[in-house]
Amino acid sequence: MATYKIQIDDVVRDATTEEAAAIDAQRAEAEVVAEAAAAKVAARQAVLDKLGLTADEAAALLG
Amino acid sequence: MPNTQTSVPAFVASQVLTAQQQTEINTGIPVFATTVTRDAAFGGSGEKALAEGQFAYIEATNTTQYYDGAAWQSVGASGLTLVSATTIGTTVSSVTVSSAFSSTYDNYRIILSGGVASTATEINMTLGATATGYYRFLVSGSYTSDTVNGAGSANTTSWRHTASGSTTLLSGEIDLYSPNLAKNTSIIGRGAQASTTGATLWQNGYLNDTTQYTAFTFTPQTGTLTGGTIRVYGYQNS
Repeated sequence: MATYKIQIDDVVRDATTEEAAAIDAQRAEAEVVAEAAAAKVAARQAVLDKLGLTADEAAALLG
Repeated sequence: MPNTQTSVPAFVASQVLTAQQQTEINTGIPVFATTVTRDAAFGGSGEKALAEGQFAYIEATNTTQYYDGAAWQSVGASGLTLVSATTIGTTVSSVTVSSAFSSTYDNYRIILSGGVASTATEINMTLGATATGYYRFLVSGSYTSDTVNGAGSANTTSWRHTASGSTTLLSGEIDLYSPNLAKNTSIIGRGAQASTTGATLWQNGYLNDTTQYTAFTFTPQTGTLTGGTIRVYGYQNS
């Protein structure tokens, strides 16, 4: 498990095991969501590539 | 601070006052370090009962307040009143502001500015110790493209990307509605990365519980934060 330094108001200290686990869980989930969003963008770009359009050109076509 | 006091005494007839008590009276109105010590100074043994018309000075925010019978109000306050200002330490992986929300205000604005991130990163947000039930829809775009990107996320462990971090700047402007009321808390957030290839964001969302929160935490998705200030403002209720 990674080690983290956390701040509560004006106090900075090392995270406890539980606090570090919470940060890890939050970051891991966000990574999954980000990867899913990136996959959607890639899929959309793949369609645009087949049509020979850039994303900006497609946006212009849709007004 | 010389004028700081922790109790507002209720005197009785013929009571002989101490020098300290007379000094406190000569201060004009009671002076407290924070709103927490203010709230603890009334209603205890030998203390005045809090009642409408009571004044107080808060050192932490340099504000004069009066009690209107239901809540503390700031004298001469504008629409927004500074509640707290927290300076971010060095290379921290999360920052918690523990006394941000109270019954004084229903709605809040949080400004994250200055400082740096160790790498370009999203900055996620949680309320209290809650790690479930966050919903939001994000609209974002790059400075180098006209394309608008949308991303929804439901029942997650945090509000993702409520603010932005870059190696030159931290940036976030967040409005929270009813975090200290027994209602759902909703959020509107905006941020902009200070990078020629960076992105800007805008999002709406809510937290699907009715917990009454006093604290929030910023956690960068990657890396750490150094410096900068988190300012919390309360919107005047009336």
